[in-house]
Amino acid sequence: MQNNDELKLALLIASLAMLMMAFFVIAFVMYYQKKRFEEEKRINDIEKNYNRLLLDTALNSEETERRRIAQDLHDDIGTMLSLTKLSLNQLSKLVANSGDEKEESIMKKSQSLVEETILHVRRITRDLVPTTLERFGLMEAIEEFIHKLEEDNNLVIAFQSNTEEFPRQGQKLELTLYRIMQELVNNAIKHASCTKIDIVLEIDEEMIGLRVTDNGVGFDPEKIKESNLAGLGLLGIESRLAIVNGTVQYEQPAKGGSSAIARIPVNPASGNKPEPLHPFRRERVNI
Amino acid sequence: MLESYFSYIIRQPVISAPVFLNLLPILLIWRKRAYNEKLLLILFVYLILKLCVDLVMFDLASHRQNNVIYYNVSIPVRYVLTSWMYYYEFDNKSHRRWLLFSWPLFVGFSMWDIIHTNSSIGDVHDQNVVLYSATIESLLMLFWIMLYFYDTIRALKIPNLLTYPFFWICSGLLLFYSSFLFIAPVMHYAARWDQWMDIGTLDYIPYVFESVSLILFSIGIAQYRDNSYAK
Repeated sequence: MQNNDELKLALLIASLAMLMMAFFVIAFVMYYQKKRFEEEKRINDIEKNYNRLLLDTALNSEETERRRIAQDLHDDIGTMLSLTKLSLNQLSKLVANSGDEKEESIMKKSQSLVEETILHVRRITRDLVPTTLERFGLMEAIEEFIHKLEEDNNLVIAFQSNTEEFPRQGQKLELTLYRIMQELVNNAIKHASCTKIDIVLEIDEEMIGLRVTDNGVGFDPEKIKESNLAGLGLLGIESRLAIVNGTVQYEQPAKGGSSAIARIPVNPASGNKPEPLHPFRRERVNI
Repeated sequence: MLESYFSYIIRQPVISAPVFLNLLPILLIWRKRAYNEKLLLILFVYLILKLCVDLVMFDLASHRQNNVIYYNVSIPVRYVLTSWMYYYEFDNKSHRRWLLFSWPLFVGFSMWDIIHTNSSIGDVHDQNVVLYSATIESLLMLFWIMLYFYDTIRALKIPNLLTYPFFWICSGLLLFYSSFLFIAPVMHYAARWDQWMDIGTLDYIPYVFESVSLILFSIGIAQYRDNSYAK
């Protein structure tokens, strides 16, 4: 009888121990899984931040290089061209006195070529560094960009904003929006065979939205991203947006064409009025 | 007839509870249409079969008749159906192969055990609980459950275990088989019609944890979302 009771007690203890182990296993699986996910998330965040930093550095380097080239163009080639123009003007007077018509015509041709080259250098410099953006803000820069494009192409580009006075944003944010707008409009001109482009810039308390719509052939963004080179422009847009916590969404309107909407959280310029930036100052750009 | 049922429920509430608790996960699967998912369809079939067997056993027990034959036969069926769910959850092909391989072996072994334990199959009155099958079943199921948990924490394929139905089902099975592992071999000697041996609380532990496992199944099924079931 006593043996029987001892056996029951032993079995009871064994069963309870087994049950405790089962509870422990369940708790351990839940705890370990949670810890592993937290660890994975932490590593992913570090990787994401590192990639973001890399992108940021790459874009900063790109902007610095653009500025350096613009500066060299203006300071070196621009100055030399101005001096050449001045010398040609003096030479032109001498040629005019000599009365040789052929020489005079060559001289005029040379002068006009130099003037044209000066204009080209100015245009390239402006394209490289959006000085209007830095001095007057996003709306003025977009308007100037549109104006130049309409001159060169047979295009109708409409621009509208939900505010007359677009508040100045951080330098990085404004440049990001401007470059994205440039990329989207250039894409529309190059690939969409469109005749009309609408640019809409909207701002509310939290977000800035930039919508570029064209009436061209339209496209499937996923397919374009899959093909290696063709998707670089779109990847570039996404990379720029990733740095400023922005998103982009592509749509295909029912009436045809394509539409891209970029959204970026508002980041007003700091209280100090930003020092007007001159494109030709030798300094590192911190976008 | 109803009187004998009620009388049995009053006399043995712990043993009767899981019989009726079977209805809870069955109704939940039906209501949530969770049977569209293969894994939960197997659970659904298992629970319906279990309910039928439990009701027959309940009826026989309330009329003081030996119902052990149904219990013995239900062991291989229970093993095949519960382990089948793991077949769909294992990603590793060799695990699946071993699982499939265990079915005919275990079913064959169970049949042998039933015949070995009971000299006369036709004599329902003197049927005894199988000697090895229930313990082997518990060991095998605990092995598959542990293997599944190991795979889960290694692969990190389920973001939130608490909202994943099969985790609850697994936990229920783990508790049930853990409670049963050491008691199963004793049942052969204790649960004899003419030589009943009182093992006290031990007799009730598997029933308590059978009820707990059914409640855990129900919690798991309640987590089921039609379009978010991730394998």
